[in-house]
Amino acid sequence: MPFLQKLKPAILPLAALSWLVLLVSTLLHANAALAARFGTPPEWLTLVAQASFVAAVFLYQRGQPDPLRGTDFVGLLRRLVLGPGLLAAGCVGLHLLERLIEFGSPTTDRTFFSVVYTINLGLFVIFLAYTNYSWRSLVLFRATTTIRSNWVWFEILLGGTLLFRLLNWAPPGPLATVIIGSLAMFGIYLSSNQKWIAYLSRRQKWEVVLMQMALLLCMAVFVAYFLRIAQDPKLVAPTPQHAFLLLTVFFAAFYSLMGLMVTLFNLPTAGIFEQKREEILSLQRLTQLIQKGQNEQEVYDMLFDASVQTVEADAAWLDVDAEVPGNLQGKRFNIEEDTIVAIRGLLADYNLGHIEYLNNDLPGSSGFRGLGLQLGSLIVMPMRSAKRQYGSLYMLKEQRQGFDRENLGILQTFATQTVLSIENLQLLAHSLQNERVQEELKIASSVQDSLIPKNLPIDNWFEIGSHARAAKEVGGDFYDFLHLPGKRLAILIGDVSGKGITAAFHMAQMKGIFHALMQENPLAKNDREKFPVPSKFMAMSNQALIHCLEKSSFITAALYIIDYEHGGFVFARAGHCHTLYYHSIKEEVSYFRTAGLGLGIIRNDGYEKHIKNQFYDYNPGDVMVIYTDGIVEARGADQEEYGEERLKQMLERNYYLDANEIKQQILNDLDEFSYGQPMHDDQTLLVIKFKAAQPDTLN
Amino acid sequence: MKVTQQSTDNTLTLSLDGELDASSSVLLDTELTKPEVLNYQKVLIDCQRLNYISSAGLGVFISHLQQFQDAGVKLVFFNMQEKVHNVFEILGLDALMTIVPSQAEATAI
Repeated sequence: MPFLQKLKPAILPLAALSWLVLLVSTLLHANAALAARFGTPPEWLTLVAQASFVAAVFLYQRGQPDPLRGTDFVGLLRRLVLGPGLLAAGCVGLHLLERLIEFGSPTTDRTFFSVVYTINLGLFVIFLAYTNYSWRSLVLFRATTTIRSNWVWFEILLGGTLLFRLLNWAPPGPLATVIIGSLAMFGIYLSSNQKWIAYLSRRQKWEVVLMQMALLLCMAVFVAYFLRIAQDPKLVAPTPQHAFLLLTVFFAAFYSLMGLMVTLFNLPTAGIFEQKREEILSLQRLTQLIQKGQNEQEVYDMLFDASVQTVEADAAWLDVDAEVPGNLQGKRFNIEEDTIVAIRGLLADYNLGHIEYLNNDLPGSSGFRGLGLQLGSLIVMPMRSAKRQYGSLYMLKEQRQGFDRENLGILQTFATQTVLSIENLQLLAHSLQNERVQEELKIASSVQDSLIPKNLPIDNWFEIGSHARAAKEVGGDFYDFLHLPGKRLAILIGDVSGKGITAAFHMAQMKGIFHALMQENPLAKNDREKFPVPSKFMAMSNQALIHCLEKSSFITAALYIIDYEHGGFVFARAGHCHTLYYHSIKEEVSYFRTAGLGLGIIRNDGYEKHIKNQFYDYNPGDVMVIYTDGIVEARGADQEEYGEERLKQMLERNYYLDANEIKQQILNDLDEFSYGQPMHDDQTLLVIKFKAAQPDTLN
Repeated sequence: MKVTQQSTDNTLTLSLDGELDASSSVLLDTELTKPEVLNYQKVLIDCQRLNYISSAGLGVFISHLQQFQDAGVKLVFFNMQEKVHNVFEILGLDALMTIVPSQAEATAI
């Protein structure tokens, strides 16, 4: 309300001013000498001063910030008793002082009496305003909008009664009773809003009861004073704002009384409320522990302590089924190890060790009676998830009928929460482990990357374009080059079946075999025997791989030895993709369809007859395309394979380009073909273009 | 991938339906690993509905090849689609395994 906002700074001075006017006017009425000198003020001035003082004090209190801080109800009441309560003491003190003076020197002078009366009236109004607005905070605590608007109406109607006296209009007899009565009913209705009491602990409830009593006492003091002096002949001032003050006192007192009663009636149940609160707090503590990322042992300890505390067990123990024995410790409270063993054994006999079990009459059950325990009740609460059992919680009480259904429910919640926390912690550990594996895969990937030759052989008799990419971090495709003496170059390409780490290991192995076998044999009788021919190389590789390749794995490879002094090459294909070739003389593209078995498929010395060498004399301008099946088996949108035919057509269209450009054209076409499809297999592509041999330029 | 079995006194016929890749090859491997398989004289593989075979799928046959030979069990493929046959051929398996065009020929062996 902007109007009230503007009024705000003026309210306090207005209150002070109207009180002074009230004081002066009362004094003038009371003291004949002063009245003779200054004249008697008209009665309406006193009334207006009174009304505006009351209104200003109430408005001022209304504009104060909410006295309730959070849920500190006791603090609110304490301030109420200490502040306005002291006002009541002041009121009593002043009255006694006045009585004392009058007793000492009886006088008919009414000046001092009137001053005390005016001060007390002021104090009473302040007390009421403070109390009323403290009550407002309590009434409106978590209240609905209906209650809020009801309260505003209550204020407006109360304010209306101020006008009764001011306008000097008294409603005719029964009507006044009806108006006052219905407002009082309204006050009673509002007084029923005592939600805040539910939030008090047992101790706080006691405090509240005492403070409410003190408040009622303060109010009683004021009321007694005003009732008493109403009869005093010395009272000259107009009677105060009856209707308004009466209603306010009524509301303040009734709310206080009601609060007192509700609190009193709530006292017996306070213990239960507190127990529930304690349960909720324990649950919260358990939950918080997960977020702090503590270890499993701490979660179990927490569960155990919380459970013992919450169900008020006299003895208890916790069995933990650790995945790694000795990793986690159970807990024991107020019970001997042999008693535990005995009970555990008994439960196992009845097959009850791992299910939820409540026995409230141990002395009544034959098995337990036999153990001669000093215990009356037992709960067994297993902790388990869909995956596994984590252990069991055992709670014991000395008296029979010690546990109820609620206890069982709470322990159930605790157990569930604990299992959740434990599984969370395990998940966390797993994900950390995963991260480490990822990290190691990255290293493996970079190691493997270093196995692929970065520097392609450069010479003026050929060009090479190369491309390799793995479907996963590490792959099973490989290629390598090796310069051999006598103007020869060995090129190896291959593919290990499967993908990932296993394939990567075998790929590294194959590279090792390649370098080991392609060493010059010092015992060779002639140049041709210094290095193994491709078919011999494959047979030796097959022999080497037999011992390390698992049964269902195999390797496909092709080895080319190019002799550029004589312009020819020899190769053997061990189950690897056919070599695509452009013959410049015939101007024709075709595949070398030679026979050859993959490596690791037959594991005896019969391999050599399954592999053939193929010799070919190349011409300048010829293009050789060698690749792995990741290229021809790449899938398109309709799950169709890229295929040998499409690759062949690409070479037919692009044979005249540089090796690198041919490679790029093929890759572009392949990417377009398999756009949006996941990569299933590693892809490797080498394009070699022969040029006219120019000996003696470099070598 | 679906594997259906059909057996007579001395012949076991496995019909493959779908794609034989890394995951489905486990299924086939389980079938071929069963000890009673070695009691048959012939194991026929009907490849009519086999659309694709990956290296893992080939690996299953390769890993059982030696065992079958040692036990005297004949492994025969028939009704093979062109592109699947191509895969066998590239790897050189056509020289090691018996691949015939039709069931009649397979039974006749």
